[in-house]
This record gives sequence, C-alpha cells and structure tokens, in this order.
Amino acid sequence: MSDLVHDPLNILITGVGGQGNVLASQVLGRALLAAGYVVTVGETYGLSQRGGAVMSMVRVSRDRTMGPLIPENQATAIVSLEPLEALRVLPQYGQPEVVVITNDRPLLPINVISGQSSYPDLADLKAALGQVAGRLLWVPATQAALALGSPILANVVMLGALAASGILPIGLKEIEAGLAQMFPPAKMAPNREALSRGWKMVRS
Amino acid sequence: MTQASAASTPPAACLDRLRQEVLDPGLCVACGACLGLCPHLLLYDGQVAAPDPCGLADGRCIDLCPQNPGPDPRQRRAGLQAARGLGDEAPLGPVRRAWWGRAQAADLGGRAQYGGVVSALTALALEQGLIEEAVLTQAGQRGTPEGVRVRDREGVLACAGSIYAAGGSLQALNQALAEPAEHPLGVVALPCQSLAAAAMGAHPRYPAGRRLKLVIGLFCTMNLSARGLRQVLGQAGVEGAVTRSDFPPPPAGVLVVTTRRGVSEIPLEKVRPITLKGCAFCPDLTAELADISVGAAEGSPGWNTIIARSRTGQDLMELALAKGLVEAKAVPEESWAHLTAAAAGKRARAGSAREEINHG
Amino acid sequence: MADLTKLAPGAAVLLQGNEAIARGALEAGISLAAAYPGNPSSEILESLADSADSAGIHVEWSANEKVALESAAAASFTGLRAMASMKQNGVNVAQDFICNLNISGVRGGLVLVTCDDPSGISSTNEQDARFISRLASLPLLEPATPEECLAMMRFAFELSEAIGNLVVLRSVSRLSHTRAGVVPGELPAGRALPYWDPKTRWFTVPVVPRHQVMLDKLARARSIMAASGFNRYQGPDRPDLLVIASASSALYAAEARRMLDVEGRVGILKLGCTWPLDEDMILSRLEKASHVLFAEEIDPFLETEIKALYAQNAPRLGVMNFFGKGSGHLPLIGEMTPGKLAGAMAGILGLSWLPVAKDYRLQATQLAQGMAAPRDLAFCPGCPHRASYWTIKQTLAVDGRQGIVSGDIGCYTLGLHPTGFERVNSVHCMGSGLGVASGLGQLKKLGFKQPVVCVVGDSTFFHAALPGLINARWNRSDYVLVVLDNSATAMTGFQPHPGTGVTATGQPGVAVDVESFCRAIGLPAQVVDPYDLGAAQEALYDALQQPDGLRVLIFRRVCALVQGRRGGHPWRMSVDEKLCRGEDCGCHRYCTRVFRCPGLVFDEARGRAAIDEVVCVGCGVCAQICPAGAIKAQAKEDAA
Ligand SMILES: Cc1cc2nc3c(=O)[nH]c(=O)nc-3n(C[C@H](O)[C@H](O)[C@H](O)COP(=O)(O)OP(=O)(O)OC[C@H]3O[C@@H](n4cnc5c(N)ncnc54)[C@H](O)[C@@H]3O)c2cc1C
Ligand code: SF4
Ligand code: SF4
Repeated sequence: MSDLVHDPLNILITGVGGQGNVLASQVLGRALLAAGYVVTVGETYGLSQRGGAVMSMVRVSRDRTMGPLIPENQATAIVSLEPLEALRVLPQYGQPEVVVITNDRPLLPINVISGQSSYPDLADLKAALGQVAGRLLWVPATQAALALGSPILANVVMLGALAASGILPIGLKEIEAGLAQMFPPAKMAPNREALSRGWKMVRS
Repeated sequence: MTQASAASTPPAACLDRLRQEVLDPGLCVACGACLGLCPHLLLYDGQVAAPDPCGLADGRCIDLCPQNPGPDPRQRRAGLQAARGLGDEAPLGPVRRAWWGRAQAADLGGRAQYGGVVSALTALALEQGLIEEAVLTQAGQRGTPEGVRVRDREGVLACAGSIYAAGGSLQALNQALAEPAEHPLGVVALPCQSLAAAAMGAHPRYPAGRRLKLVIGLFCTMNLSARGLRQVLGQAGVEGAVTRSDFPPPPAGVLVVTTRRGVSEIPLEKVRPITLKGCAFCPDLTAELADISVGAAEGSPGWNTIIARSRTGQDLMELALAKGLVEAKAVPEESWAHLTAAAAGKRARAGSAREEINHG
Repeated sequence: MADLTKLAPGAAVLLQGNEAIARGALEAGISLAAAYPGNPSSEILESLADSADSAGIHVEWSANEKVALESAAAASFTGLRAMASMKQNGVNVAQDFICNLNISGVRGGLVLVTCDDPSGISSTNEQDARFISRLASLPLLEPATPEECLAMMRFAFELSEAIGNLVVLRSVSRLSHTRAGVVPGELPAGRALPYWDPKTRWFTVPVVPRHQVMLDKLARARSIMAASGFNRYQGPDRPDLLVIASASSALYAAEARRMLDVEGRVGILKLGCTWPLDEDMILSRLEKASHVLFAEEIDPFLETEIKALYAQNAPRLGVMNFFGKGSGHLPLIGEMTPGKLAGAMAGILGLSWLPVAKDYRLQATQLAQGMAAPRDLAFCPGCPHRASYWTIKQTLAVDGRQGIVSGDIGCYTLGLHPTGFERVNSVHCMGSGLGVASGLGQLKKLGFKQPVVCVVGDSTFFHAALPGLINARWNRSDYVLVVLDNSATAMTGFQPHPGTGVTATGQPGVAVDVESFCRAIGLPAQVVDPYDLGAAQEALYDALQQPDGLRVLIFRRVCALVQGRRGGHPWRMSVDEKLCRGEDCGCHRYCTRVFRCPGLVFDEARGRAAIDEVVCVGCGVCAQICPAGAIKAQAKEDAA
C-alpha cells in the first residue's frame, strides 16, 4: 500500500447532473476500498437530473472513518467534469495547494442560454482557476470521449487524468478493476481506452 | 415622458410600454395591429395578452397601436395624414368627395350590412389588380370575428355583413405582410384599424407596410367585446355565429343581430357593459385615415354613406360608378350635418376621456 | 440497485447508507417492506425490491406512507418482522397511524425508517422528523455511518420485539447517500409462518391505562438501548469541553477537534440511541464537564432534552454552560459541517481559527462571484411539463382574468421556477394543490374573480389528492384540475405507481387510471397530449370558460427520460438559419429566451438559434412556438 499524500485525502468530484459524476466516485471508492483504505464517498444529488450542479466527495484515510463532508477549504483535489463548476466550488473547498483537474468543455446553464447570465470566456476562466489552484490540469476530456464515440465517457477520461496527477495511492490497474465492478465485460473496452487517454493527456 | 427625460433614462421596452399604457389599463380594442408581428403578443378568442417580456426597446408594436396615445394624440393623427399628403380637417378628416350609394350586384342581396358598397369596392379592387389580396373580417371559431385573407369576389362575399365585436383581424394583415411576397394588399378596417394601417404604411422599420395599397374604412361609434357579446347572446338564447349586426337609430334602443337562425333584438342596457373601454378614447367616427370610408346612410335603409379621402379611394369609387357596380346620389345636407355633428361629438368625448385619464 | 442477498458475509463492500439499511433489514429477517418514494429514502425500498425474489419476501411501493406503515404493521401483528421507509414529509402523512400504533403496540419487529433532508437538498422543507419519537414515545436510533446503519437496523428489530412497539431509525440525506465499506453479516435461515390468533386484538382503548403501558415499554427500551454500545464517549476524562453529538455530527466533531488540535481538551459523547435518553451515562459525563456543546441536525432535539435533564439534576451538578443552537454558536438552519463545528469549538475554547487564509478565500470568492453564472434548475429537454406549463401560461394570459395556479410536490414543482415560467402560485405538500384550489373555488360568491387551475402529478394524484378532489366535487368547488400525467414518479427515480400497473418488484399489478376514477365521481376527464400545444390550449381555454364546477383535464405524455429508455422521441430538429429572426423585432430569441428548452442554444456570433444535438431529444414542441417556422422537425428515420 503506497502512502497517502495527505490523510485524509479529500477528492471532490463536481459537475452537472447527467455527467456521470456519481459513477466516477463509486469507481474510485471501490478501487480504494479494494486497496485497503478506509473510504467514505458522499454524494449530493436531489434534482440532479434537472441540470443542476452535482457533487461527490471521496474521502480516504489509512485508518480513520471520515464523515461524508469534506471540511471547508480542505479539498486535496478537485475533479470537475465542467470548467465553471470547478470555479464554483473553490471558495468553499479550495486551498492554496489544491490540485484542480477539469474538463475544458462548458455545459451552458439554462440561464446563460436564455441570455440572462453570461458564461465567462474560456481563457479567462482558465486563468482564474490558475490563480486559486495550486496546480491546474486542463483536460479536453469531452473531446477525447467524443473521439471514443460518446460524450458520457468524459468521466472515465477524467479518472485517468486523476490517476496520472500522482495524487492517488493507486494506479490505473486498480481503477480499471473498480470499473470492472460496475460494467459488464462487453462494455469495458471503451472504458479502458477512456481511462488510458486521460492518463496520457496528463503524463505526456 | 418628455424628450429631455427620454434622453437621460433608458427607453422602456416597447412591449412593456404597450402593456403599461394599453393592455393593463384595459384600453386595448383588439384591433390586431400588434399581432402576428412577433410571438410575444397573443390573440385568443378576441383577447390580446403579452405574458412575457420581449426584451427589446424599439420594437414596432407600440408604434402601430392606435390606442398608444403618445405625447399628443392629435399630433400623431395629423402626422400620419401629412405622410400621405392629406390634412387633418375637423371633424370628419379629409373629404375629397362624398355620396350616398348602394351596390347593384344581385349576389350581394341580403348579405351586405347596408348597401354592400364595401364588398363591391373590395371585389372591384381585386378584379382590377389594384390589390391582389384583401384582409377582411369574418366570424370564426366560437363566433368570434377574426381576420381572413381573400383573393376573389367569392371570398369577399363570404365576409359581407358586420359583426359588432373585436377580434384582432389585423393580425392576418401582419401575417400576410410577413410572407416573402411582393403583391399589393388591401384591408377593410375600422377607424382604429385605419390608423394602425396608416402607421404600418409609414413605419421606418416596417418596409413590408408599403405593400398596403388600399384601406377601405368603416364608420364606427364603438365596438363590443367578443366574449361579452357571446355571453349576452347566450343569455338571450341566441345561437350560432353572428353575420350581421346593427344599431337602428333611436328610439329603437336595441342591437339587432342576424344569425343563420334568424334575427334577434338585444336591449341596449345589456350591451353597454360589454362595450370596449378603449373605444371611449377613440376620436374617430369615420375612419379618417382610410382611402375611402363607408357607413350607414341615416334614415335610408339599404344605402351607404361614402367618403372618398385619397386619390386612390376616389378613383376606385368612380370606376365602380362608371362600371355600374354602384349607384350613387348626393348626400342630403341634413344628413351630412348630422354626421358632422356626430363626428365632432366623438372627437370631443375622446378628448375629455383622455384628459380624465391623464389628470385623474 | 442490486440484489443485496448476494453479498458475501464477512467481506467488506462499498455500500450506500440506504443499501446498508436494507441489508440490515434483510439480516434481521424482515418479511415485508413498504414505502412511498421520496429522496433521500428511495434506494432503501429499491434495493429491497431487487432482493425480494431471492429473499422470498414481499416488497411494495405503497400509494402513500401511511398505507406503507399500516401494511407493515399488519405483518407485525401476524408475528413477522416488517418495515416502512419514507422521507421526513412521509412521517407527517403516517403520523396519525403512528400516534395510535404506539399505544396498541406491535408483535413482530417493526421499524420505521425516516430519511431527513437537512438543507432541503431534495425537499420542500427542512424538517427534523426525530420529534415523532418524542411525540409518540418511541425508541429512536441515529446511525452515523453505513456500517452503523446495518448494525442498528438489526438491533432495531430486536428492540422492537423486546418491548412490543415500533422503533424509529433516522437517517439523513448525507448518510443515506454516503458509500463506505460495510461488512455484511449472515442472512437468517428460515422464518415463522404468519399467524394472527383471532383472540388477540390490537387497539388503543381504554386509553389511559394503555398510555401507561406504552410508557413502560419506553422505559424498558431505555435499559436495552443503554446496553447496546451505540452510545460511546471518547476523549479525556475531564474535558474542557464536552461535545454531545449524534450521527454525522459526531464524525464532524471528531474532525473539527483534530483540525483545531484539541484532542486532549475536548471529549465527544456520541449518542446512537437518542430517545429515550441514556440518562445515567449522560449525567455521568455532565458531572465531569462544565462546558457542553451540542452537535446535531436539524433542530436542537438532544440539546433541549439534555438541558431539561440537567435542570432536573442542577442542584447536584452545579452551574454549567451549554452551547449550541440555543446559544447561537451553531445555526438553527442548514446541515452541519465540520467547519461550523470547528468555528463553534474554537469560539468556546478561546482559539482563533480559520479554515483557510482570509486572502485566499476572498480571492476565490471574488473570482467565482464574477464569473460563475448560477445554474438554474430546468426541466429536461423534451419534458412534457415544460409544454404543459407553456400552455397554462399562454392560456391564462389570453383568458385575461389573472388566473391562479395551485400545485404541489413532484418534478412539476419546478413550475415555481423560470423553467416552468414561474406559473405556479402555491406549493406545500403532497396533494395540497387540490385543497387550496378547492378553497379558492368557493370564493366566487365572496367576490373572487380570478379563475383557478390546480396541477397535480399522476403519482401524487393517488398519494394524497383524492380527498381534496372529492371535497371539491361534493361542495361544488369551481376550478380546473390539470393532471400532469407523465406515467412515472419521475422526481424520485421513476418508481412505478398505481397508474402504471407495475409493482415495485416489476410484477404486473392492476393499473388504476385517473380518468376512470374521475368518471366514478361523475367528472368526465378529457385527455390531451401536452406536446400538442394548440389542442392543449384549446382544451384548457374551453374548460376555463365553463361557468361553474370542477373540470378535469389530463395532460398525458410519458416522462422524457422514460421515453428515452423506450427508444426515444421521433424527431430530428434543426433551425433554418434563413428563416430564423434571431434578435430582431419579431422574435428576439423567443425559443432560447422564453421557451428555454436546454436543447436549444443561441449562436451569438451568427445571431441565430441552433439545436444542441447532444442535448435535444427530438420532442418537436419548439417547432410549434417559433414564430418564423424556422425550427424544423424531420422524422429521425428519414434523416438517418
Ligand atoms: C364594430 C362596428 C361598428 C360600426 N359602427 C357603425 C356606426 O356607428 N355607424 C355607421 O354608420 N356604421 C358603422 N359600422 C359600419 C357598418 O356596419 C358597415 O360595415 C358599413 O356601413 C359598410 O356597409 P356595407 O353594406 O358596405 O358592408 P358589407 O359590404 O357588408 O361589408 C362589411 C365589411 O365589414 C367587415 N367587418 C365585419 N365585421 C367587422 C369587424 N368586427 N371589424 C372589422 N371589419 C369588420 C367585413 O370584412 C366586410 O368587409 C360599424 C361596423 C363595425 C364592424
Ligand atoms: S389596440 Fe390593437 S395594437 Fe393596441 S394593443 Fe390592442 S390589438 Fe394591439
Ligand atoms: S424562435 Fe424561431 S425565429 Fe426566434 S430565435 Fe428561435 S428559431 Fe429563430
């Protein structure tokens, strides 16, 4: 068992309803549990199908049972399936060393579509994230997922990127085993590919 | 709002103004001028509504609405007359020539309101190619009048007769003008609608309005709410769509309506409460902004009073006379005096109603 | 969800709190489970339904929570173990039964699980349902982790049988939706046959002596619970500060203590059995502390009761200082967090503490406030409710009499929001719209001139609408009822309901349809497809014009997500850019600005609307609202 960079390790996964946030947190939780850690995965969903923000909190310790909520400003890493959602959670959960790993593909809020609010320019958004993240990984996950045939795979691409970031005490193999608990063998090929693409986008 | 303050404050959204100044105070007369232009204004069963803000400051709806008083209603009318080279003579508007007349065609018999001149002139304008399409009014769903687009004599005849209720028939005109076509159009319009039609023809951001080549105006003292009329008729046991309505001169004291089942009389005290509130603010009895205006010939059933205002209107009428489609005689002096007095009375009443709303 | 009987005893698995509750019930040998769907409780019954076949038990979605608990009680009367699960609002629905069942008592172990929702993440209220235990003198358990969920469920059934009364287990959304490692135990081998001895009766009279019996049961529960080991103290013997906490708040307190580095000064009394109180244990801790902080969700339940206990013993205990929601050190609203507790502890101990440097928080907040546009909730693309509310908005506008819409609970509650054109005027509880409409519909004679429309979902219709409907019919109330029938309990995850004709376990049931019901009380119900905006508007308009009485319209169209699972919608949509009027007078982005389906986007650069092909499901409704006929629907088959 490799050591944790921080105990507890607090990984916040955020995004928009329908992006596969909860699935990603479950895969991670299963993989970490199998590796012998004490894992708590808190999920926030209620009206998640209806376009609102969704959050999961994966908390990992060697020996202590953690509550389901990451304490204020104590996220070790923020994995965001949508770039604006990363910025939204930073005031409450970020800290100067936080590693922010975000998909670069915006999903426009309905109030932006309607013209009432505006979505920031992507370059500005990236710069803002850079200012408050200890480290920022800007990942074209949806693009990679689309190349694999379905935008929904972006969540698994992001798990690959998270593994490559060096924060996790486990590697791709363990995450893949976690995926295998969730998917029938027939559906594993694209998931495996998505995972490795995510890894490569960060490591090369 | 004065010009100076308009410059310093952002202009109110057009639709908001329409709502504040016309719809909310109940002054809409359901002429239809603002309808069919954009999806924000709705018409259903004679009622106009605007449930959502449109978000634009300079849309056309408020400019076309005849009930939008502007800073000076008289000025507005005079401006529109001037735009077509005519004056705003009191109290009948510009008068080029006037007649008493009636249509000769047999196929109009019984169907027309009075003398059938409106139908005859409309049909002639279509046959001559002065216009290719005309927007008229006909009883539609639930008996509520609605705009219809016709292209031939048969279509014109189907619309003969008056329905004393408002149904937003100009919506059909806007819809026709929105289509990618070039042909000239005509419309048979109440006084409020004639004003709106003139505004369409002159509006800088409504180029399609230039396709409107003929406005045949109707005299009008007041109009009724379509829903109210249906209710009153229902209570009186009158069934079926109204094809003809008439207020016979005093002392009759009734509204006479014709349906397919027959003729019925409704006492005036039942009618007063369903009169459109907005009509009290309308100064125009004789459709002063039309090319030619047509009304009843007082004391002479089966005849119309006809006033040609523009060159177009006069030419059309004279052609009809030349072709023997309409027979005419001079308007008796006494009748003209009555009409003049009635028109002056309507102008005065509207003026004081407006005063009251501005200061009360 | 999955079949929980398949878990291997002794091997840790990642289980959700709700799944752990279900597994605990299976290990306790339940024979019947009933529930009404409601976040955050729904997964309990769903996972039991998936396990029902292998476990050989009866699992059902009931028409409402009261019926669910009554059904479970019936099984208990025959000696079987049974449970009912619900969200906090459901406890209110079941309350009348609870407050009589507590006196009659039960036979087989009977457990009521309530899942409360601090912060109202998926609720219309923020209600602490623990008070049902206080109100009805029933034992209360509060697990903190999925592991405790399982263990406490097993214990709850034992306790219930031991005292002969209902036991309440209370979870909260955070716990219900938390996954953690859980080690399952063994499942029972066999179970007794249900039998009700005809000589036994379950009832409540004479009330006064039976009330005493109920209190005796509670007293017995106190000693059994004291021995359960679910109440634990951890910390120095004489702490500077004693924290008395339940559920997740106990974990947060431990975390806060570590964050402040005061493990040597702060002790935590974690209570898992929170009613009746383990007075001996609590008093023994109070004796050794002078400063006490209470940490719990949502209301000051322990705080109030323990202060009362203190008052009783004050002469012996001397002056003590109590902190918590009463003192203002913790807020009375919203869920607990580690940070809130750390702040309170630091304040009491005279420490200065901030979760992160002020500058950092300020900078992040400023950036987020400047850029992060809010994400409004929206009906899904293709949602029939959007079309229904469109019709209601347009029709009430042209009706012109300032109509009022009363509503209630379901996806269609979003009618309060811009996505439903803010066209709903009142929302309270399940079925409340019908009662409100019933009352409004009587006010005409007092001069109320506005027409009244009530919206109710199909699932809610069967849950709580019927008495309101019958009342309106009986008393000749005057309004238009619009049943928004999407043939699903969509809000909570597409559970079947009486109208669907399928049971919780996927077996065929008997479909109970809305229109037959209405016909039976003499109300002809007109069925309309809300996707057909013109037809729906005409039907509603005509209903509104009818002079008197109750009129029923059923806007029937299956939930867009369910349709998605059934092969999707028929149309491939596109925008003809040449026809689109964009931002000009004559439209001004009517589709994206007013209709607001997420499947439509506005291409600012081109000044034209466009279809977002990833989001649009192809329902075709927007083609009807475009004033320019620019939105085109082409059959998917032809397009492919
Ligand atoms: C609401 C109303 C009030 C009127 N008040 C008066 C009045 O006070 N004094 C007076 O002298 N004349 C009045 N008239 C005009 C009169 O009723 C005749 O329409 C006019 O004299 C023409 O007669 P006609 O025989 O030539 O008509 P027809 O040849 O029968 O033609 C009638 C024309 O009127 C149109 N029309 C019918 N109903 C409406 C409507 N609701 N809105 C717009 N157009 C409609 C039809 O499209 C048709 O083209 C009124 C008309 C209306 C509709
Ligand atoms: S009077 Fe005519 S233009 Fe004015 S609001 Fe009514 S229908 Fe529209
Ligand atoms: S409603 Fe029609 S015309 Fe208006 S922006 Fe949308 S597609 Fe274009």
